[in-house]
Amino acid sequence: MSFWFWHGLRKGIQSTRYPGRAENTPGISPGRPMNTDFSSAEEARLAAEICPSDAIVAHGKSTYVDHGKCVNCQLCLHSLPSPMNWEPGFEWTRLPANRTESFPLPSAFAKSTHIMVVDAGDCGACLHEVKQLNNPLYNMHRLGFFLTATPRTADLLLVVGPVSENMRGPLLKTWEAMPTSRKVMAVGSCAISGGVFGRSFMCACGVGSVLPVDFEVPGDPPPPLAILHGLLVVAGRKSLKSLEPVSEGRS
Amino acid sequence: MAAHSSPIAGDNTAGLIDLTAAVEERFGSEISRAPVGGGFVLTLALSQPDVLPALCKFLFWEHGCLFGGITTEEHAARWQMHYTFLLLGSGWIDLELSLPLETIVLPSIVAEVHAADWHEREIEDLFGIHFENHPRLGDFVLHDQIWHEGIDPMRKNFSASHPQLERKVDLDWQPLLVVGDPGSFAMPVGPIYEGGVGESLHFLLETVGEDVIRAAPRLFYNYRAVEKIAEGRTVGDALLLSERFAATSAFAHSLAFCLAAERIAAVDVPPRAAALRVLLAELERLRHHAGAIAAICESTALAVPASQAAIIEENLLRASCVFADHRYLFGLNTPGGLNRDFGSEQCNTLLVAVDEAESDLRILEKRLRLSSSFLDRLEDVGVVTGENARDLNLVGPIGRASAQHCDLRKACSYSGYGQLPFDVPCETEGDGYARLRVLFAEATQSAKLIHRVAGRLEEGLVRVSCELHRAGAALGWAEAPRGAALHWLRVDKTGVVERYRAITPSFNNWLGFHVAAENFAFQDFPIILATFGLSATECDR
Amino acid sequence: MVLTGPSLVAIFLICAAGVFCSALFARKQVPSVLAVAGTLSSILMVLTSAIVLLGGRPFEASLWTLDGFGRLAIHLDPLSSIFLLVSGVVYFSVSLFAASYLKNQAHAAHPHRHYSILYFALMASVVLILVAGDTVLFLISWECMSIFCFLLINYFPRGQADKSAGYIMLAMSEAGFLAVAVAFLFLARSAPDFSFAALRIASATLSPHTLWLPFLLGLFGFGVKAGLVPVNFWLPRSYTAAPPAFIPVFAGITLNLGFYGILRLNADLMHAGYGAGIVALIAGSVTALVGILYATTDNDMKTMLAHSSIENAGIIVAAFGAFLVFRAFDETVAAALALSAALYHMVNHSIYKTLLFEGAGHVEAATGTREMDQLGGLSRLLPGLSAVFLVGCLAISAVPPFNGFVSEWMTLQTMLRSALLASTSVRIVFALCGAALALTAALAVTCFVKSYAMNFLGIRRGNWELQDKTQAMNKFPLVFLAVLCLLLGVLPTYVLPMLNRSVEPLAGASVTTALVQPFFTATPQNVQLPAAFLQDFHNLGAQAGKGVIPGRGLVVLLRGKEANPVVFAMSPSYSIVALILLVAATWFVVSRFTKKRTLARRPVWAGGIPRLLPVLTYTGTGFSNPVRVVFQAIFRPNIIEDTRQTVAVHFRTAIHRQREETHVVDRLLLKPVGSSVQWVAAFLAGMHHGKLNAYVTYVLAFLLLVLFLYRGG
Repeated sequence: MSFWFWHGLRKGIQSTRYPGRAENTPGISPGRPMNTDFSSAEEARLAAEICPSDAIVAHGKSTYVDHGKCVNCQLCLHSLPSPMNWEPGFEWTRLPANRTESFPLPSAFAKSTHIMVVDAGDCGACLHEVKQLNNPLYNMHRLGFFLTATPRTADLLLVVGPVSENMRGPLLKTWEAMPTSRKVMAVGSCAISGGVFGRSFMCACGVGSVLPVDFEVPGDPPPPLAILHGLLVVAGRKSLKSLEPVSEGRS
Repeated sequence: MAAHSSPIAGDNTAGLIDLTAAVEERFGSEISRAPVGGGFVLTLALSQPDVLPALCKFLFWEHGCLFGGITTEEHAARWQMHYTFLLLGSGWIDLELSLPLETIVLPSIVAEVHAADWHEREIEDLFGIHFENHPRLGDFVLHDQIWHEGIDPMRKNFSASHPQLERKVDLDWQPLLVVGDPGSFAMPVGPIYEGGVGESLHFLLETVGEDVIRAAPRLFYNYRAVEKIAEGRTVGDALLLSERFAATSAFAHSLAFCLAAERIAAVDVPPRAAALRVLLAELERLRHHAGAIAAICESTALAVPASQAAIIEENLLRASCVFADHRYLFGLNTPGGLNRDFGSEQCNTLLVAVDEAESDLRILEKRLRLSSSFLDRLEDVGVVTGENARDLNLVGPIGRASAQHCDLRKACSYSGYGQLPFDVPCETEGDGYARLRVLFAEATQSAKLIHRVAGRLEEGLVRVSCELHRAGAALGWAEAPRGAALHWLRVDKTGVVERYRAITPSFNNWLGFHVAAENFAFQDFPIILATFGLSATECDR
Repeated sequence: MVLTGPSLVAIFLICAAGVFCSALFARKQVPSVLAVAGTLSSILMVLTSAIVLLGGRPFEASLWTLDGFGRLAIHLDPLSSIFLLVSGVVYFSVSLFAASYLKNQAHAAHPHRHYSILYFALMASVVLILVAGDTVLFLISWECMSIFCFLLINYFPRGQADKSAGYIMLAMSEAGFLAVAVAFLFLARSAPDFSFAALRIASATLSPHTLWLPFLLGLFGFGVKAGLVPVNFWLPRSYTAAPPAFIPVFAGITLNLGFYGILRLNADLMHAGYGAGIVALIAGSVTALVGILYATTDNDMKTMLAHSSIENAGIIVAAFGAFLVFRAFDETVAAALALSAALYHMVNHSIYKTLLFEGAGHVEAATGTREMDQLGGLSRLLPGLSAVFLVGCLAISAVPPFNGFVSEWMTLQTMLRSALLASTSVRIVFALCGAALALTAALAVTCFVKSYAMNFLGIRRGNWELQDKTQAMNKFPLVFLAVLCLLLGVLPTYVLPMLNRSVEPLAGASVTTALVQPFFTATPQNVQLPAAFLQDFHNLGAQAGKGVIPGRGLVVLLRGKEANPVVFAMSPSYSIVALILLVAATWFVVSRFTKKRTLARRPVWAGGIPRLLPVLTYTGTGFSNPVRVVFQAIFRPNIIEDTRQTVAVHFRTAIHRQREETHVVDRLLLKPVGSSVQWVAAFLAGMHHGKLNAYVTYVLAFLLLVLFLYRGG
């Protein structure tokens, strides 16, 4: 059995250097569409039309993207005669529409943040990406982020999924059971806007309709590093990239 | 339809003829043969429901058919019930029952086909159809704690955007507990446990301390009513749903959905698209199995192999992202083929990653076989006997670890699997270790298939137009990483979904979970759970 | 000295008055009679025994002469006064508790009057046993005590089980009585009369081998009352059947009488050898282990406490066995340590077991059940009761600063003293028994964590409502005992000199000089300890308070001999001061730093389910199941599985596994004995077939046998 020890050692350190250094290994992020200026209004209209989740809004020759609605179907990348601009990064964390200022956790929690994850009707992708943060390639423990099994000691409530009706009660109970210094982070388009599930008798159309959300990480699903960026923002160790000018799509 | 997408791929035509003759001889007066189509090789219309239990028993037990599921729809102001069975090597058999809407009681087939248990419970909960002699109806999809009786959300007259009533949680609700030993109690697990990284589901571990006597899962915390909200959407929008209700097997589900849509439109996808679909589906299987292996290692607290397997999985996710621009292969399938083509350069990059993953898995397997403490925890844990697996119609790797050979890729080929050489690994012990071995062996087969397909890609289109201009219904199926996935679709002539039904392997196999979780030590619970590797969200939809 | 006689007379007079008043007064007055007469007589018991203990001289008086039996004598020496003192303390609490219980007893037909009469009669007979100075008076009062105990249990039986429990108890008491009587008569064979003094002299002339007979008979006879394995099978049954108001009398007083008998017979009247000591040690250790195993797994509070009484009796008898061994090997200091451990534990057990039984009585009265699987959450409903019951649980689990710790510490130290013994085989027995006692102590913690947690913590599991009447029940008797638990635990250096008065005459060494050191001063009187050692303590300031605090010191300390110069020491008195300082400092610091924080209370976290249902929480059975699984070989359960299903395997409608357990004593002793008796009876019945010639043959055969046996004489 001791061979596991050597086997592990031989592999060496595999963790990403992010956030200390930039990370651009291929495949860590699928990227996302960006606001694009087309050469004609027709092209902009086509782009807005092809989007199944109404995330793209055309305004003249320009299109604006609401990433909270984007479900990453990539139709605007592969099925348009002239594709939308595509952004390869992952630092996507943003504030919800009803917030203008970022309130990270108090500094006492910055170096040791305990995270309670709740799957509120998630399809498994966002949850899976959160789980990936625990593997050696991302190893969020090295940054002081810990998953905790009880809300009593949790600082951050990380919610994935559009909040299914059967999970609404447990989600609220978790939130109530947390200390009041808690922050809530909605991860994934479903948790932000309901995603493809939208509002129905079974879906609450995102966490915002149930709980006050402090931070959002858009993406369907956001890759692990996007979530890690979100965690760093919540802990006050990264600033929001730049408070994007609120696009018209987000009205 | 081209040969590669024909349901009769195994060419068990003789078996089908025999079966048809036998059915007509026994049940000739009550049934009539309806026109074949929509993915079925035999459609039998029943004139009245009384014969149903006997006929199901005849098919399932006497003719060795596998149970597919029950699909209910409210069509043309009548109930349309489809009881789906699979004759291995031939194809799907549909027992069609058309009843007036006033009928709200049907005979239950659960005494004959136990695997129909949850199907009937689901139909009772969502449609309000009562099944006579079913011993345990109610409190299934709609949890009794928060949903009062009399809501039938799948009925046509129920609006999906129905405003949510201000509901009160019934605090006096009592769970159904079966163990009546003096001093017995139930340990609640979930719906939020493992710090929430586990999916939302709830277990009651019934025990008198120390050993758990029975563990019953309570699911549907993640029920998002995918089947209901798909109604009234276009096929393209419904495809998004089929892709996104269970992301860890997104490609297989969207594939089955597209196959159904293509069948309605009577469109054949180009050979290149079919081959690429196989490639992508196998990539998904490989990645899923690596993840499942990581979870099993983690459940036994064997940290190094758990990390190594997780690295393999993450590398495959990255390879998928490099190859198809999405880590979970979203947005590729479309009715008529694939949304985009892949160059040979891309394929070669993928093959390098797949080879690396495959050889890493091989090393991992070799070492795990030498880790006696690890094997001790898996062997004879969570045993599902072959009889139980057959009885409960377990599918996928779990079924194959318990001597159930069914693999839709071979048993009822689609998308050209019939022409590809590959093995379906099978074990007989039915314990946790057998399930792990099946996962490793299937991962190897998947890597082999990816190589084979990538090596012989035909040039050509990857997409043909698939306009849905006529009403119709069809079944699509695929062997998802966790087992057989059946998607049944009915569209009207404007291409809008009238009824969408997704029967998932997790739904099938969760039903059988309790067989493996009986009389075990409490510390084995995570291991049993991990070796089953089921997804709650895939079950819940 | 002058007062002893009159106060003894007064005790009997008050008991008589109690009997008459209970008979004559109105039913409503009976509880008051019980309280007034009971407390008065118990205070007198305490006073009388205190006079003898502090005065140091036994009280003797002779009564009238009985034809053929000699003079009846009264004799109250330090040994019996310790028991009288404990009985007085227990009676004081029980009288108040029982009065309060009867007053709040809703049952209209409840026979208050009869209970009260029996209570005083039993009290008188108990005192008489303790002051009896000769065999005849002792045996008569012993028999009276047995019968009153039986009547108290069987007067108001609540079911067939209760009734048969009473009869089993009576049968075992009578068997024990016969054995005891034979043992005494055996000793009295060569004595001029039946007085204890005469027996003492007579036994000294007997050979050690002949002493085995009275020892074994006594161990059996008194062991029945003390609850020793294997003659204790009546005990849990009858304790469970006993009226709640009076069980403390059984656990806190009559159980001790069994030990008193063993002690009086073997330590005082005759000098039992080391073989006897080994037997007592093994019997005690086995009893302790069996007792605690069944206590841990039982869910009925009364039965659990009864099994725990057996366990404690086992510890006492084990320490007593060690005493006999050490005395036989002339290790007087170790013998003194062993005997004082036994007596200390006896005192402690009486107090905390009375407290726990009274607590259980409270719980039963308040909720109508004593099933731990039904109870739960009482700490919020009855906070006061919860606190005193917790004290009892901590004390019996031997957690400092309560009294159980001191006596168990001393008992285990006694076992370690076996290093002094020369014989290896005896040392091995000591080691094994010590291990058994250590296991017992650990299981006792499990047992009482369970009993407190299942009753008082968590949420209510059964369908009971709190009865208002019980709120009014007097909690003073419990608080009184809880305070005693603390005092006996904190001040052992004051208790040990008291015990020493009884120990010294029997062990031949003073436990005060051996265990309770003078304050650490490097004076020549402190010859027990090396000067350098004392100097170290001196420099630490260990003699602080020397002039102010009365008594010799506050540290219990024992130094091994030259061969094994290990020092065993403890001081709960200093520890509690340190503990209080630590807690206070912590509280101070924490409250300073958390001033601004507000306390928020939220419902219990249960994984997100709407409400934690009682059925989802641990039961007593579940908590103790690991013990059941580990000790399967002893419990040997017979599991009857009854599983019902409707449609093949997966619709289990009911899984029901009834677990049938036969107590290990019943299984190994009672059943074989019972069946062999039946076999013999059947055989004898077979011989009586009514044929004349067969009977003639029996007579002839018997005649031949007699002739053969006496052929020489």
